Amino acid sequence: MSSSSGSQQQVRVKVLFFAQARELAGVSESELLLPARLASNDLKGRLISEFHLSLIGGVFVVALNESFVEEDTHLELRESDEIAVIPPLSGGAFSGQVLVSFRMCYE
Amino acid sequence: MNEKILLAEIAELKKRLREKEAALIALRQETQILQENGLTNTEIARYSRQVILPSIGVTGQIKIKHASVLIVGAGGLGCPSGLYLAGAGVGRIGIIDYDDVEITNLHRQVLFTSSDIGRPKACAAAEHLNRLNDSIQVVPYKVQLDSSNALNIVKDYDIVLDATDNVATRYLLNDACVLAGKPLVSGSALQFEGQLTVYNFRGGPCFRCIYPDPPPPETVNNCGDSGVIGAVVGTIGVLQALQVINIILDLPGIMSQRLLLFNGINMKFRDLTLRAQNKKCAVCGPNSTIHHLIDYEQFCGSKANDKNPNLKVLEQHERISVVDYNEKISSMPHLLIDVRSAQEFELCHLEHSLNIPFKTLSNNKNLEKLQKEINENHHETKNIYVICRRGNDSQKAVKIMKNFFTNSDIQIRDIIGGIHAWTYNIDTSFPIY
Repeated sequence: MSSSSGSQQQVRVKVLFFAQARELAGVSESELLLPARLASNDLKGRLISEFHLSLIGGVFVVALNESFVEEDTHLELRESDEIAVIPPLSGGAFSGQVLVSFRMCYE
Repeated sequence: MNEKILLAEIAELKKRLREKEAALIALRQETQILQENGLTNTEIARYSRQVILPSIGVTGQIKIKHASVLIVGAGGLGCPSGLYLAGAGVGRIGIIDYDDVEITNLHRQVLFTSSDIGRPKACAAAEHLNRLNDSIQVVPYKVQLDSSNALNIVKDYDIVLDATDNVATRYLLNDACVLAGKPLVSGSALQFEGQLTVYNFRGGPCFRCIYPDPPPPETVNNCGDSGVIGAVVGTIGVLQALQVINIILDLPGIMSQRLLLFNGINMKFRDLTLRAQNKKCAVCGPNSTIHHLIDYEQFCGSKANDKNPNLKVLEQHERISVVDYNEKISSMPHLLIDVRSAQEFELCHLEHSLNIPFKTLSNNKNLEKLQKEINENHHETKNIYVICRRGNDSQKAVKIMKNFFTNSDIQIRDIIGGIHAWTYNIDTSFPIY
């Protein structure tokens, strides 16, 4: 279990998604309940699992209040902090549209 | 008069026009009046509107005149960047592109005109830039940038502008700039979004500091697959040109260790602070392991260009050619599934095809629906054919479907070469995009 376990205080943060991350998450922004203190690697892990980002294999920038989050650091989060998930743009788009109905062809 | 004759006549006239223009430039250069401040009268007139800016002045204009910039990629980013850099009077502009102009480029690659279709981009771009400003030197390179030539080209320029569209070339260019000690003004755009950063500038981070590992190759698309709006990629290209000018003039506000994000739908710009140089960086860190250029296609697991897609996921018996498929259309009950996006399907599709976009295939609910539909209404259907634009996604789609329809006697095959092959081999009236 990661260091995010335990009975410590939780905060609600805003999460913004860019480019392919938005298409995988299916929304451009969301909220997430996180421990107030957590390791940056655990934050990345939570983002990947909560928002179906495993396809882009962790290749994205995480920013906390518009500042880059480095690996292997400890974060202190506050209520309404803003986290951004930004994959490089040469990675393409993923359209998450759900198919509504089928028509069949050739009889 | 037929099209062929007209085109040949236009090409001949253009050739003569180019010769006359070159003669005119040579004649004018002989009669230039050079002022003591180092600018000619023509330059004073041409650049006056920017020279009168306090942060430029004659000193700044001379710096711009003596600067050299390498633009890598004459596409949606490189074209607008090139125009503004040539307009501003950057003395030497190199422009690299291995490709020829295609009609699908014209909505965003503003250097080219309809009559450039089929010409090498590097040559057409150089010609148009020189037509805009005949007092600068423009050097076209019609080459695919790779590990064997990148350093040699990069070292001849002060600043490099990354206007490429693929991951392998981005790593290659980054490493070449680190090894040659050149700042890299990097832009990218896809769909309605754009990004801008300056790498390797005065101790700031490089591309590898931010992205030590390449993205998984199967997740990487390009403008041809995902689409891009011209004005968005143009916005980023223009901002890249502005960053180059600011670097030349030693102005503040360089996007080093910063990332600008632009969203053209909600019209928001965001400015993030990036990390400082990564001490563990394989190319620019103190303990770097990359001391010369490597094989970047291997490193990224993807090609440095999108020509001749050669994805081979399926065995031969799991595939069918357009010719064989065409023979079977009317004689055999089957289901044709087109896995392109809904928008592409709307552009053109084969008759009786069913559109299930590739991206929705990973959703089991959609596959269950398809299975139910086949069981209920089409139990005689024993053959499913899958088609896409060029025959890559269709192979992956067959894999996904085969994994799902494990207990069925349905044969699933993909159509080799997709819609493109259909146009080239079966129906030339079918549109190509």
